Amino acid sequence: MHDEPVISWKVAGAALGLLLIFATAMVKPLGVSTQYVVTDAIVLHSAAPNLAESNEYLNKYGEKDDWSIGYGWMLVLGMFIGGGISAFATKRFRDRDNPSIPSMWSAEFGESSPRRLTHAFIGGALLLFGARLAGGCTSGHMISGISQLTIGSFIFGISIFASGIVTARMLYKKRLAS
Amino acid sequence: MKLFLGLLIGMAFGAILQLGGASSYKKIMGSLLLKDMDVIKLILMAIAVGTVGIYALDLVDMANMSIKPTYVVGIIIAGLIFGVGFAVAGYCPGTCVVASAEGKTDAMMTVVGGLAGAMLYALVYPAMSGLIGVTNYGEVTIASALGVNGIWIALPFSAILFVLMFKVVKDRYE
Repeated sequence: MHDEPVISWKVAGAALGLLLIFATAMVKPLGVSTQYVVTDAIVLHSAAPNLAESNEYLNKYGEKDDWSIGYGWMLVLGMFIGGGISAFATKRFRDRDNPSIPSMWSAEFGESSPRRLTHAFIGGALLLFGARLAGGCTSGHMISGISQLTIGSFIFGISIFASGIVTARMLYKKRLAS
Repeated sequence: MKLFLGLLIGMAFGAILQLGGASSYKKIMGSLLLKDMDVIKLILMAIAVGTVGIYALDLVDMANMSIKPTYVVGIIIAGLIFGVGFAVAGYCPGTCVVASAEGKTDAMMTVVGGLAGAMLYALVYPAMSGLIGVTNYGEVTIASALGVNGIWIALPFSAILFVLMFKVVKDRYE
């Protein structure tokens, strides 16, 4: 198994910092989580325009790019493409026994795909609910926000690691006990 | 043109996360279990480089900053919810996109869950205005609160992060 990263945290972190500087000079700092709302807004608007426009929050983000994709959405699409290319190039595409289950997970929770996928779904819902309430996620709030010395971003960063660390310890009791 | 630039920046972003191991469930959980600190150190390095660069750009008025409002109570609650999701999914909203591109179906499910969570938030948004309105200090940074130029905070802050990365934060493998 290829488990270790191809480039070290030093190189990856410095590259990400430089990319953040470049993005801030050209357009704006990096951010991801808004695009989940934009995607919801576009999908709902194409199915039921009135319903989408009547929702204050979807309308706020949908209207900005005329219920279509903009710079931020292309950025997230780019993440998918760039991540995919590097995964293929480094032969790490689907580098798992079961594409839905990380090996670390199966050692603790067994081989049930539905169980892992349920966790993944619920986790995703919590992530985006929290990110939208805060106004950003790990990229927009933590990396971009703390780099801009935003006070709320420091608070967000501390809060996510506080509850993330406690939750991880509760999940991986067996592993931690051994 | 701007759309194409977004695509290029995103491709670099996704490749860096993938190559740096940040789209790996094991690496993310390793960080949350405080065993394998690579992802935390990657984030600290990005901030240490980014903060100096952004405030250097700001000196020549070239930084297109986007300061998010600081509403203390709402952000703490949001962060606590996000943190639970972070540990339960083992991804964050960006890394699950990258991990999906690696063919990991659990990460694809996190993206779908994320779309559902964002939709849920849109539905309850009117009820959240209280949380956003209370203890809201607006678009405040450490520099603006102290009334100094950001570079004077960014430089020592970056130095502190370097000490954290290289001297304080250590891996603790089993």
